[in-house]
Amino acid sequence: MRKPTLFPATMPSLTLGLGLGVGLALALASGPAGAETGPIRIGVNEPLTGPFAASGTYVVNGAKIAADEINAQGGVLGRRIELVIEDNKSNPTEAAAVAEKLITSDKTPVMMGAWGSSLTLAVMPKLADYETPMLVETSSSGKITTSGNPYVFRISPPSALEAEAFAPMVEKIGLKKVDFIVINNDWGRGAAADFAKMLKDKGVAIGLVETMDQGAQDMSAQLAKLKGSDADTIMITSAVDQLTLLFKQMSALGLKKRVITTGGSQNPDQIIAQAGGAADGTLHLTTFLPWYPEKTPNPKATAYFIEEWKKRGFQFAGVTESFRGYDGIRTIAQAIAKAGSTDAARIKAAFWSVDFTGLNGQIRFAKSGPAGRESGQSKPEIYLIRIDGGRVVMPEL
Amino acid sequence: MTRLLSPALLPPALLPLALLAGLALLPLGLAANPYLLNALITTGILTIGAMSLNLLLGFTGQLSLGHIAFFGIGAYVSALTSLGFDVEIGFGVRVVHEPWPAAFGFLLGVAAAGLCGWLIGRLSFRVRGAYFVIVTISFAEVVRLVALNWVELTQGPLALTGIPALGLGLPGLGSWTLRTKVQNYYLVLAVGTLCYLLIARLVGSRFGRAMRGLKENESLALSVGINATRTLTVAAVISAAMAGAAGSLYAHYLRIIDPDVFLFATTVTMVIMVVGGGKGTLMGPVVGGLVFGLLPVALRPVMAPEAQWIVYGLVLIAILFVMPRGLVPGLAGLIRPRRAAGAPPRPAGDHAGAHAGAHAGAHAGAHPGAHAGARPVEVRS
Amino acid sequence: MDQLLQHLVNTLILGGTYALLGIGLTLIFGIMNVVNFTHGALYTMGAYLMYLAVTALGLGFFLALPAAILGGLVLGAAIEFVLLRPLRGSDIDTTMLVMIGAGIVLQSGTLWVFGGVAKSVPTPFPDAPLHLGPVSVSWLRLFVLGAALALIGLTYGLINRTRLGLAMRATFQDHDTAALMGVNVRLIYTATFAIGSSLAAAAGALLGPVYVVFPQMGGLAELKAFAIVILGGLGNITGAAIGGFILALAEELGAGYISSGYRDAMGFLIIIAVLAFRPTGLFARAERIG
Repeated sequence: MRKPTLFPATMPSLTLGLGLGVGLALALASGPAGAETGPIRIGVNEPLTGPFAASGTYVVNGAKIAADEINAQGGVLGRRIELVIEDNKSNPTEAAAVAEKLITSDKTPVMMGAWGSSLTLAVMPKLADYETPMLVETSSSGKITTSGNPYVFRISPPSALEAEAFAPMVEKIGLKKVDFIVINNDWGRGAAADFAKMLKDKGVAIGLVETMDQGAQDMSAQLAKLKGSDADTIMITSAVDQLTLLFKQMSALGLKKRVITTGGSQNPDQIIAQAGGAADGTLHLTTFLPWYPEKTPNPKATAYFIEEWKKRGFQFAGVTESFRGYDGIRTIAQAIAKAGSTDAARIKAAFWSVDFTGLNGQIRFAKSGPAGRESGQSKPEIYLIRIDGGRVVMPEL
Repeated sequence: MTRLLSPALLPPALLPLALLAGLALLPLGLAANPYLLNALITTGILTIGAMSLNLLLGFTGQLSLGHIAFFGIGAYVSALTSLGFDVEIGFGVRVVHEPWPAAFGFLLGVAAAGLCGWLIGRLSFRVRGAYFVIVTISFAEVVRLVALNWVELTQGPLALTGIPALGLGLPGLGSWTLRTKVQNYYLVLAVGTLCYLLIARLVGSRFGRAMRGLKENESLALSVGINATRTLTVAAVISAAMAGAAGSLYAHYLRIIDPDVFLFATTVTMVIMVVGGGKGTLMGPVVGGLVFGLLPVALRPVMAPEAQWIVYGLVLIAILFVMPRGLVPGLAGLIRPRRAAGAPPRPAGDHAGAHAGAHAGAHAGAHPGAHAGARPVEVRS
Repeated sequence: MDQLLQHLVNTLILGGTYALLGIGLTLIFGIMNVVNFTHGALYTMGAYLMYLAVTALGLGFFLALPAAILGGLVLGAAIEFVLLRPLRGSDIDTTMLVMIGAGIVLQSGTLWVFGGVAKSVPTPFPDAPLHLGPVSVSWLRLFVLGAALALIGLTYGLINRTRLGLAMRATFQDHDTAALMGVNVRLIYTATFAIGSSLAAAAGALLGPVYVVFPQMGGLAELKAFAIVILGGLGNITGAAIGGFILALAEELGAGYISSGYRDAMGFLIIIAVLAFRPTGLFARAERIG
């Protein structure tokens, strides 16, 4: 009596289960083949959604300019380059998954990424697993180049390097006592620690170290505390949105102290546009000088990049982020050219012989980290600029 | 064996078995595609989280939106046990811990998450409904902020890096470290299967009846002598411990964790897996986990990142409207009317309960008790 | 002392908008028994509507504000009509999850349309703050406090002094009886959700110009609104208003004298403490709304 009824119920479950396994396996086992003649694929792992979406998008747009420029000039090794751009959703887990996809599924022999330090740190074990090099364009945590991962090559300065570059300016500016307010992540806390160490060595007193959560909008409580402190200077490390809010809220509280921002993500034009007069007199340590192309290490390239950026209809304010994507892809292209091959191991070796003038200085990798497993770290130029009457000026020191 | 083959048991037991067989065979074809294997491993880990959440949400009816806290606590405790730490806990007392093997980390992670489940259970089961939801969210946020700010212990936002991979074996007798994707895949599959069997046993037991009684009609359950707080607390402890196991797997697989593991979005993903698959059913979270875990992988190549999220949200809404009970009961409902024509009507619940028993019997050897204790599971109706 | 005074002034300013956020959420919960997970998204929408009204439509700051609030009202009514009305009678979990889905769609939609770069809303207020002895406060924030208090007052009046409010109060107490007495309960639900949504949008429209406008701005605001509502007791409007100020005070003093890292933890710690010692909220669930 029940026998006939067995059939319809068992078949779907059997088909569902086994079909899922076998079908998926068959369908997915055949990934794209690594062709030797098609375009050279470069993986780009950036945050395009989530809290860092704006910055990640800027970097990707910069990278596209570099790729188009290189292709217009005939590509690399006689082949076009193709960027495989993936969104890591501003999330470390996703960043690691994206790296895995780029390496194994898209067969990219080299990658660029992953903007934030925790994103990059999450990707790093994958680089070692698959022996694939990655160019780090933005992250600033010291850990990235000191943990003994020989597949990492970084063109952005870690905060210790930034602090070192700032050291000679300390006396000229006349710092006596410094308070910090930093974003509560690896970047902010790392910057506070490195700058505090350098300043102490210089005999400058360190006062409060306040933090603000990523995404926090109201910092008036922290600022009220800073207002009551006897420090003469506040050093700030955060992304541009929070800097804008801080300047507005400082002016609302009548907090008038010397302000120096670090981290290279300040985007002064956006600050001027959004904070207005509240940003007047603030000092910023930047790694790029788009306002004065003639003063950059490679004026011609800077002028070309800025012109191309404007031509594509992007906001000028974005160049202080996007130039890293541009330089990053150019660095990778040169490594591939020097390797004479698209083999990951040879590209990795060739990174050590990269040497050209990028938009923010000579790109040339020095060894960093434990012997035998060194990462590469390039040393960009660092500039101090001031916002004055809605314009960016270079203070005389 | 004859019992297993009896017609009443066959169909429901076959779905999970077939799925298990399919999943076990999958790496044979996927070894060349580590990206998909990786997606399956992370999906599997989240699915374990979803199964544990289902124990609370589906079987006791308590919507815990702070479930990620237990996952994260498991991850952090496990990682810290295997990495070692040196912190000052106040009054000049220092706690120094030398690294232990990762397997101990796993066990401690499970235990710590279970303990937190007990604490939160004691605290929050005094309230129900929306209050319960919000207190669980708050708990997860507080834990996240502690992980973010207790830098000396957790490295805060600097993330815990270099977490060792899990290994099996005893010191002195040689050990086996799970390094490759395929090994990790089978580990996750094994832990997942174990959790599934445990939940099936539990749900089919006396205790399971008490849980469902509370969900269906709390005052009635109380009047027949069910101790609500005790039942719910035990469910919370088991559920939290399983989530902790998933978190530990996550930490040792990814080898880095940062306070972002506590993000509310991950809880939402787990809830979607449970509700989408079918809350209060054994297979629901598994099917929901696979569907919603792999959906982003399927959407990635075809649309812009923002659009993927929009689709994710729309699919959630659509499932709630079209199949409010979830995919598994919804699809079963499409098949059942044809059965009903030939077979005498039975309560829908028989399926899950019967197959729970069959399952436990099949895997844990002949367990006569497993069957005797099996009670029908109410498929939510 | 000066620092404490500044913290107290900050509390007052911040508390007004927190109260506004909390009232909208508690109103919807009290009358409809829906935990509104689109509250944060509606807050974000309010801010973007304000931005659009000021920049694209050129309405001017003081006209843009009511326009944004009206936009929130319409959007809220639409959400209720499309998503909640068909689900009437479903359990609280289902509606909560549908609201989570709608929240995801709205937030990602905002990112898709406007991009991730934060926008700034120009205001007619002077940059220079108002100095009152040792404390300072910006004119814009003073205006925001005033507007928030006015909106809270309006909501209060609406509920206690109008026919619609009477019907809302009746529905709050017992929707079956209200329906029997001739109250159009479906309409009341739509109106309630629309009003609650417009209050969220109003908070966004007021705070957007104070801060900056970006797609994720609603997330933290939503969690804070939950904290406020729990503090005041779910469904208790007066409680939510007071809860807003208590949360602001706890955050200010927490950041000022304990550690700024735990500033955002204050709200959640309060929730856990409240639920441990007074599970129904500081002010208990009101027997009657208003």
